[in-house]
Amino acid sequence: MKTFTQIPPGTQILLGRAARRRRALERAICSVFEGWSYEEIVPPIFDYYDVFIKGMGTGLEEQIYRFIDRDGNILALRPEFTSLVAKTVVTRLNKAARPIRLYYSGEVLRFEKPKGGRQREFAQIGVEHFGSKGKSSDIEILLIAAEAFERLGIPDFQMNLGSVDFFGGIVDRISLPEGQIAELKEVLNLKDQSGLETLLGRLQLEQRRKDILRAIPHLTGGRDVIKEARGLVRNDRSIQALDHLEEIYMVFEKLGLARHLTIDLGEVQGFDYYTGILFRAYVPQLGFEVATGGRYDGLPATFGEDLPAVGFSFSLDRLEQIATPKLIVSDSDAADVNGDAFDQALKLRRDGKAVKLCL
Amino acid sequence: MLVIALAKGRLLDKSLELLASADIRFSEDVVTSRKLIFDAQDGKHRIVLVKPADVPTYVEYGAADAGIAGLDVVLESRSDLVQPLALHFGRCKLAVAAPAGVSLSASENPTVRVATKYPHLTMEYFNARGIPVEMIYLAGSIELAPLLGLADRIVDLVESGRTLKENGLEIVEVILESSARLVVNRASYQTKRAEVLKFVRVLNQVSSCASST
Repeated sequence: MKTFTQIPPGTQILLGRAARRRRALERAICSVFEGWSYEEIVPPIFDYYDVFIKGMGTGLEEQIYRFIDRDGNILALRPEFTSLVAKTVVTRLNKAARPIRLYYSGEVLRFEKPKGGRQREFAQIGVEHFGSKGKSSDIEILLIAAEAFERLGIPDFQMNLGSVDFFGGIVDRISLPEGQIAELKEVLNLKDQSGLETLLGRLQLEQRRKDILRAIPHLTGGRDVIKEARGLVRNDRSIQALDHLEEIYMVFEKLGLARHLTIDLGEVQGFDYYTGILFRAYVPQLGFEVATGGRYDGLPATFGEDLPAVGFSFSLDRLEQIATPKLIVSDSDAADVNGDAFDQALKLRRDGKAVKLCL
Repeated sequence: MLVIALAKGRLLDKSLELLASADIRFSEDVVTSRKLIFDAQDGKHRIVLVKPADVPTYVEYGAADAGIAGLDVVLESRSDLVQPLALHFGRCKLAVAAPAGVSLSASENPTVRVATKYPHLTMEYFNARGIPVEMIYLAGSIELAPLLGLADRIVDLVESGRTLKENGLEIVEVILESSARLVVNRASYQTKRAEVLKFVRVLNQVSSCASST
């Protein structure tokens, strides 16, 4: 340490309006979560490294802050909440009535390049829903996200909804080495039509299968996209994924929320643990996603109980950049009290008033 | 309004030509003007002129919705971008070059000193081959480094190969075949979907027409 002015890269301090905005946003979102009967869970800031590796998969291990305790165990500062929450549900709430609805709010740490208003320590707030399979719990999660956006005064959010099963069903039917599947995922993630064409030229596949893969980057839009995709695939897994997405879309149409939903069948990237729907939310004012989530039925099983699960989280640091002014509490509406008049101050406080001692 | 970042320099003329063939035209002469922001006559597109290596940054942060940059720059930036199209211009190679006729044996030099303005791609390339390197970052005139003994090799963009030849260097190995790329911000791809998809479709059409004639 050179001087106390220096800060470690990746940290930030919230003061004044910034701190008030953070808490106001947090409270607004928590009240939405509580309104949907989610209970708060306050997990530890560190746990065994293995807990997170099981959850996030090995791709993100280099982003995890690790340390060793006095017994030689490898510990990690939490890089996300989902693994911690899933582990807690399996190990501590195994007798609780299902479904289990939990929400969390707190800091996570990842060793990554600070970007889009997010430092290496950043705030996540989200929900996890355990014990329900099927579309209703998926819809519940999406509706909670939509309500939170509305509560925050962000009317023009977009939720980009895909399913790992659509692409999964296609891949099941083609026999390609792991490496080529990874290449395929990579070009689809980049929506790289030229790269996909080059790759397809190299792959040993029937023409019909190539046509399906070629269409994937274009399968983004409204309900017509699902119809178009139906004309392409014949395998059960993909068809079920389309049925599922269509049912969700229809509910959103009925609720008048379909304009916020984009079906994106080319969405193939995410944490390894996703098993069904997968979504990311964007707002026009920011170049980075502000929320992400999906279904992860396989994750609780890695902690010992086969339990369906779905959830999402907001990135608070990113939401703060587009937060609407009405959320920001006024600078101060406290009653000025002469420093000696402590009895007056106590009385005002008992009445629930804010006071400011003039010292 | 779609904001498009274009790279100043060798890609600019061709990028403007491509936009013109997609009917995106400007009333001013973009190349000679000192301005950095130009609105197209259609009122639906705006271009901003930035340094080539900055295109991915502007697009990743959403300051521009889309951009045209070389694949070399896109990969070096490690930015998370949608990359829908390879365009058919700005072809060049990212290559390792060394003084002609000089061979390097591992027994003499355990570490190779490499001068480059592509530190990430260079490190990846040598690491994958198990060759220890000492990276010397330079912002330009990379060919000079081996001539003055600053580096054993360089990693740089080679278009015609003339600059290398005139400085007594030759290509040892090609790391990457590069050409211009269309890149799009991930959020814009969703929040301005109709505009973005139309732009990609039109560019795809005019770009493949241009390459087939």
